[in-house]
Amino acid sequence: MSYLDLDDVHVRLGDTQVLRNVTCSLDQRTVAVIGENGSGKSTFARLVGGLARAESGAIRILGLDPAQDASRLRRRIAVVFSNPDTQIVMPTVIEDVAFSLRSEKLPREEKAQRVTEALERFGLTAVADHASHDLSGGQKQLLALCGAFVRRPDLVIADEPTAYLDARNARRVADHLFEEGAHRLLLVTHDMTLAQRCDSAVLVHDGTIVAVGPPDATIAAYEERLRC
Amino acid sequence: MLTLYRPGDGPWHRLTAGRKSAVLGLIVLGVSVVPASWWGAALTAGVCLACYAVRGAGMGALVRQGIAIRWILAVTLAGQLLFLGAETGVANTVRICAAVVISGLLALTTPVSELLEALERGLSPLARLRVDPQRAALTIAVTLSTLPVLVRLEREVREAQNARGGGRSLRLFAIPFLVVSLKHADALGDALTARGVR
Ligand SMILES: Nc1ncnc2c1ncn2[C@@H]1O[C@H](COP(=O)(O)OP(=O)(O)O)[C@@H](O)[C@H]1O
Ligand SMILES: [Mg+2]
Repeated sequence: MSYLDLDDVHVRLGDTQVLRNVTCSLDQRTVAVIGENGSGKSTFARLVGGLARAESGAIRILGLDPAQDASRLRRRIAVVFSNPDTQIVMPTVIEDVAFSLRSEKLPREEKAQRVTEALERFGLTAVADHASHDLSGGQKQLLALCGAFVRRPDLVIADEPTAYLDARNARRVADHLFEEGAHRLLLVTHDMTLAQRCDSAVLVHDGTIVAVGPPDATIAAYEERLRC
Repeated sequence: MLTLYRPGDGPWHRLTAGRKSAVLGLIVLGVSVVPASWWGAALTAGVCLACYAVRGAGMGALVRQGIAIRWILAVTLAGQLLFLGAETGVANTVRICAAVVISGLLALTTPVSELLEALERGLSPLARLRVDPQRAALTIAVTLSTLPVLVRLEREVREAQNARGGGRSLRLFAIPFLVVSLKHADALGDALTARGVR
């Protein structure tokens, strides 16, 4: 079943029509979003993540309408950005992960348990009490990921999550994103090897979706456009 | 004034955030009514030392706090000496310094997450004034933990300007710094929303 249905969606930011006539229906577990700088990929990701509003059109994400069920959706969706510094909000690693569960109605022990598990899974147990801002860039992005996954989201949206990382850290971050699990993944990326790893790929061009399909075909369509 | 939390298990660490604020508040109040004399200054300094002379705080922490507020200290001392004479000037400066440094114990020995909960409770009467206590508390907590990033942004802006041969003009520095700070705040807002903050 598709978890993302957009029908003729338009998004305007200030005076700019950033997305127009966006229509798509995604049902693959992992979907890459590719396209040139400024084509509207981030806006698309923000729209699906509930951070940008549609001006018109019909949207259903995980079967819900973001205009009506914003807070329920937010609880089921996690967003990861490129710059880890803007995602870390608490001074120590463990506090930052715990921060993600603040508004969840769970018993204290269960929250603590989940935080411990998540730290372990992302290899951050040894630095749990360290100052978050003293971590290396790679560790910071793992912390951002950890803060996203600790909420056990049904949909993870990642906007160029490896853009600031070296090859080794990029790989670790990608491996976590692609890890088998209950979550679906919408991955905005300029890294075509990552796009290849997805089940499906979407090409955004000039504010609209111009191709959807298997990664190979979509990447070919992208390269075709870059040539002309 | 980066009085950031350091983990520990001393007496200050063991107090709850609420009690600790009350205790520290009383000490600061007490210090501020000590007469402005030589013996008053000695007493104040003694109280200050005593507050730090426990496990989990320590003289190192006191020195760091002192270094962080050295400019405030210098300016206050100069002004006071000039207008009020030696005894009163020194006593007042010690008093102000002690008040700041003793209050700093709260941030030094309380995890921000705990501070956040205490702030939420403490600010809850504001709800009647249509201030959302959760949001207000969060703003304070996030500001505290974002300070290191702002310090780095400041350095980056300076370095970028130096690399391009920029001078030391405050105006030339202030505008790009404001822009990157606002950009950062904007992105941080997104991340907070994405992490379930209303
Ligand atoms: N807040 C905004 N106000 C006005 N225009 C914006 C805003 N954010 C992005 N844009 C514009 O929308 C277009 C798409 O931006 P974006 O979604 O960030 O693209 P991408 O992520 O593909 O690089 C760009 O031309 C950009 O200048
Ligand atoms: Mg982008």
